[in-house]
Amino acid sequence: MVDEEDPREYRWETGYEKTWEAIKEDEEGFLEASVADIVQRAKRKRQAQKQKNTKLGMMRHLFLIVDCSESMSNQDLKPTRLYCTIKLLELFIEEFFDQNPISQLGIIIMQNKRADRISELSGNPRKHVKAIAGLNRTSLLGEPSLQNGLNMALKSLKLLPSHASREVLVIIGSLTTCDPTDINVTIDAMKAEGVRCSIVGLAAEVHICKQLASETNGTYNVVLDDSHYKDLLFQHVEPPPAAFCLESSLIKMGFPHQMVTEGTDEPLTMCMCHVDSVDEGSKLTTGGYYCPQCCSKYCELPVECRVCGLTLVSAPHLARSYHHLFPVGGYKEREFNNQVSSCYACQKVFGETEKQVYCCLKCEKIFCIDCDIFIHDTLHTCPGCATNSSVLQHKAA
Amino acid sequence: MKMNTLESEDSKSSDFSSTDEISLLVIILDTNPGQRILRDNPRTLTQCVDSVIAFANSHLMQKSQNKLVVMACHSKTSEFIYPNSDKPLDVRQVDGQYEIFTLVERTIKRNLAKMIAAESTALCNESLLAGAISMALCYIHRIQKTKPVGCKLNSRILVVTGSGDSAFQYMSYMNVFFTAQKQNVVIDVCALDQHLSLLQQGCDITSGLYLKIPQLQGLLQYLLWVFLPEPPIRPKLVLPPPVKVDYRAACFCHREMVDVGYVCSVCLSIFCKFSPICTTCHTVFKIPGPLAVKSKKKKMKL
Repeated sequence: MVDEEDPREYRWETGYEKTWEAIKEDEEGFLEASVADIVQRAKRKRQAQKQKNTKLGMMRHLFLIVDCSESMSNQDLKPTRLYCTIKLLELFIEEFFDQNPISQLGIIIMQNKRADRISELSGNPRKHVKAIAGLNRTSLLGEPSLQNGLNMALKSLKLLPSHASREVLVIIGSLTTCDPTDINVTIDAMKAEGVRCSIVGLAAEVHICKQLASETNGTYNVVLDDSHYKDLLFQHVEPPPAAFCLESSLIKMGFPHQMVTEGTDEPLTMCMCHVDSVDEGSKLTTGGYYCPQCCSKYCELPVECRVCGLTLVSAPHLARSYHHLFPVGGYKEREFNNQVSSCYACQKVFGETEKQVYCCLKCEKIFCIDCDIFIHDTLHTCPGCATNSSVLQHKAA
Repeated sequence: MKMNTLESEDSKSSDFSSTDEISLLVIILDTNPGQRILRDNPRTLTQCVDSVIAFANSHLMQKSQNKLVVMACHSKTSEFIYPNSDKPLDVRQVDGQYEIFTLVERTIKRNLAKMIAAESTALCNESLLAGAISMALCYIHRIQKTKPVGCKLNSRILVVTGSGDSAFQYMSYMNVFFTAQKQNVVIDVCALDQHLSLLQQGCDITSGLYLKIPQLQGLLQYLLWVFLPEPPIRPKLVLPPPVKVDYRAACFCHREMVDVGYVCSVCLSIFCKFSPICTTCHTVFKIPGPLAVKSKKKKMKL
């Protein structure tokens, strides 16, 4: 849906608007306080952008397509583009599974005009991190082929059930792509299948990437430096709004529990997850989770049962995703005029330096800016509302 | 002290033996008058408070860097009762006791008395522990941010409660548990009266200890034996064996534990039977595949 061009198309047209005017010296002539202020303001702004009660694609299936062509050896990101990418992706994968525990991820690399799948679509973060760390040793060859990469991702994503949210995240350092046929056909195919394609460019803006992102409702950004790179990457940790063609359905899931009979030890059994793996074989162990349908054992959750295909999760895995669906309402910024002596949550005493305090609209408790950010970024529970039975009951009703 | 020698011997966790380490202990004491043990005998509270104070002082005694925070979780509010938010009490040495100990005892008792006096008469059975833990986490977060460079902060939260837990705080509980896990905060729970399945899950998630004490008279002993040692030393001690935690989910429709359930792909609500409309987010589901296959088979038989 490219009905209109993005109004602020180029950074040099609108991006710089006398940015130096935002920075002011404090009484002693230091800039730090003012810079920290700008950073915090930016964080708050991002929180405010989060929309409430949108339908989200919670069961994400994301393919990371990583450029491993010659251009990744460029040293504009330190030490090299590839190394920086590897380090950031390791963090990204951890965070992704922390925030989206019932989602799946796969990794494809683009190298020498070919696409290779180095990690299958699965929910095991350790496997992916290992695969990413292994990229260190690959030799960076030739040009990437965006089309081959997308086609390979599409082949796997096509087979997924209709309720799954399908996504592709491309990390591309090259300014060119060497494709076998017309890439527009592939873009149309991605669009038809409802695959959301987002791209992080490491060099400069490329038209075809922009077109791909806008046609498939993804985002396209080019990094400025490594911290900006991290920011851009971590934007993809939050589940995106559900695609319009995403069907909703009830999914059958198993909630395995440990097999315990009072007074006896658990039986020694082998797990299904390691039964055919080459590097670490299956061992006889006592613990583990048993599929409630077919009683095969797994070392960890979440996993799809290899025998009966049931998705096995534990209740906290689901609970971990609830905060995306029921986020804490934004706090209102108020001028500080000695309403309270300290922050309700962290007991920080408000002094002269405090100019703004933040007030929850439901429980009307006052918080400091650090708590405001901590509550909305990490905690996802308003301490004021959670310690106030009337507000809590009202919310539950 | 024995604990300290153990610490210095511990070579594996070398950073643990360094002196620039602060152990922050946040005790959340449930003082809700609605809990059963207090309704039956209001004097139990005095005993609990005394035990907790003795335990808190033991924590302070172990190392001079150890820090202590005590919170009271009342029926309507949760408050920090130690340290004082405004200026600390003026305490002189009494009977040769370490001044801090006297300060801890006086501050806790005075603030608690203030809190109870301000309490309305309406009883509420449920203590809002999740809220209290969330406040504690914010506090720990601030201390973590403002601590001097180069020193390490080990924080843990001990919840001492006699009330039960109910499902309506479920979301808050899960949010605080996962936050604690992320921030490396250990949550320990000492249950005085009822078995607390939600808090038990929290202990398991944050690798803390859960203990339902067999008798209330021995509260101080249980606290000292089980909860005083720092988490890194615990593997070396013989502690009550961990209980198997039940992570099964309760369905949203009948609140029953299910082994195999149906999960809404939009809001992740759990149901024990297939229903065409999700009761939480009102999404209409399409009829699942297996039903359609069945009808085909029937046709083939005809």
